[in-house]
Amino acid sequence: MTGDAATRPDLPATPPGAPPPGRGGDEGEAAPARLGPRDVLRVGAAGLRARPLRVFLSALGIAIGIAAMIGVVGISTSSRAQLQATLDRLGTNLLTVAPGRDFFGDDAKLPVDTVPMISRIEHVRSVSGTGKLDVKVYRNDRIPEGESGGISVLAARLDLPRTVGLGTVAGRWLNAGTGRYPAVVLGSASADRLGVAAPGAQVWLGSQWFTVVGILAPNDLAPEFDSAALVGWDVAAARLGFDGHPTTVYTRAEKDAVEDVRELLAATANPRSPNEIEVSRPSDALAAENATDEAFTGLLLGLGGVALLVGGVGVANTMVISVLERRAEIGLRRSLGATRGRSGSSSSPSRSCSPRSAGSAASRSASRSPPSSR
Amino acid sequence: MSPVVELRDVGKTYPGGVVALDAVSLAVGAGELVAIAGPSGSGKSTMLHLIGTLDRPSGGTVLVEGRDVSLLSDRRLSALRARRIGFVFQQFHLAAGVSALDNVADGLLYGGVPQAQRRRRARRALERVGLGHRLGHRPHQLSGGEKQRVAIARAVVGEPAMLLADEPTGALDSASGAGVLDLLRGLAGSGTAVIVITHDRDIAAALPRRVRMRDGRIVRDETGTEADR
Repeated sequence: MTGDAATRPDLPATPPGAPPPGRGGDEGEAAPARLGPRDVLRVGAAGLRARPLRVFLSALGIAIGIAAMIGVVGISTSSRAQLQATLDRLGTNLLTVAPGRDFFGDDAKLPVDTVPMISRIEHVRSVSGTGKLDVKVYRNDRIPEGESGGISVLAARLDLPRTVGLGTVAGRWLNAGTGRYPAVVLGSASADRLGVAAPGAQVWLGSQWFTVVGILAPNDLAPEFDSAALVGWDVAAARLGFDGHPTTVYTRAEKDAVEDVRELLAATANPRSPNEIEVSRPSDALAAENATDEAFTGLLLGLGGVALLVGGVGVANTMVISVLERRAEIGLRRSLGATRGRSGSSSSPSRSCSPRSAGSAASRSASRSPPSSR
Repeated sequence: MSPVVELRDVGKTYPGGVVALDAVSLAVGAGELVAIAGPSGSGKSTMLHLIGTLDRPSGGTVLVEGRDVSLLSDRRLSALRARRIGFVFQQFHLAAGVSALDNVADGLLYGGVPQAQRRRRARRALERVGLGHRLGHRPHQLSGGEKQRVAIARAVVGEPAMLLADEPTGALDSASGAGVLDLLRGLAGSGTAVIVITHDRDIAAALPRRVRMRDGRIVRDETGTEADR
């Protein structure tokens, strides 16, 4: 019906002898051609090629978003780890046992063998104890008895530093030798008050001369040792009238088992009358740690949620704009012979939608008003 | 001579009861150059969509090269559009950022033609519309008339049996518009059925056959003598 290339005299640019293009057999004409994968990619990427700046900005935005997400997660995770390390250093697993009062309101005493008994509880890492002595320590024998400076004198077991975490700034801790002789280790505050700057000085303790062998570093976890003077368990019994009953027992438990150990402590420390034992709550640091854990998790979830929401809205925005921009193209591609599925309008809810949008784009989009809205 | 496209009592009613076309019959043969004129709202665009198989009629029959469009699946219709029908729009609808050559080559995209051949034929089509020196230019580097010529090249690169032009000169100055009309005239002379929609009386008067529409009906269908100069 229509002329082929050979019958077009007025189109000089058509090369003579060119095969009549686009003329398959009748069956070839009716069957829709398949788009090769390369062509599909090319058509899909047309929008990207047309707007390289938007592609760059979108990619940059997504990259920054992901980087920010990772940054936020990383920073808060590492600061959480740091906080936990700090809390761990404070000793969230330290429990103290002290004598309470008996039924008659009198001061109770811990049994002499409290420390070895507690050390047999499962999940206990180390146990140590101190016993308060009824003596005072003075700078020298000329100081009036009343000016004791609030320094308490304690008999200390030799493994006390390991359990509580004490360190010395000068000299050294008591050992099996010095623990038997009149040697004393001063807390940091007591050393100040007694005017002792270095080990080797002598102090008047319990009406005897004791030699300072060490000065403790300030301790956050057990501040009671800052204003204490510590002497060996043996010398306290031999020279200072110590009856061997500890007054405070320090227990380090495994972190996961702090609560379990705590439940057993009273009954273990004094099986005959557990009611006379006061067990400290697991230090407040543990509660703080748990609270921190929860707070950080919540914070992270919140941050992540907000970031995802903002990022998602942004990405959706860009996508919607891109789709809107290319929607006019649907009509064009339909007119070029794209099938409904090819032109991407197959998901239109109503069948009448596609021809309409195709039609409105394909026609004079500026001046035409859809018939239904007239 | 059997017509390239024939409408038999075709009606189109949009949802909501708006009758856009009311029992229109029209036949256009090969090599004819037809202007469809009428005020806006008279059903011109609807008729173009029906002829171009972008839309299906509510009643009546549309025959393209003797085949009943209503009996064809969407895939078959698409193939028909890809190979037998070319479209030209008022707003050109060229892909931004893509060279004229590739824009024209896209006209063969859905015809199952390999890319190298698409390019070769696109070059030929562009030379036919007098833009052989603008192959690598992007749409924003072309004038309005040149853009419309690129669009026409895209429409005819597949050697369609009919070319549908919707206000092809609507966005052009009169000189470019005249150039575009000459081009369409040449295409009709080579055997393509060319249907031009316009609301411009002068342009309609310059074409050999004029169909006037009003309120969804054809009110006049004249094959001109004085305009066919």
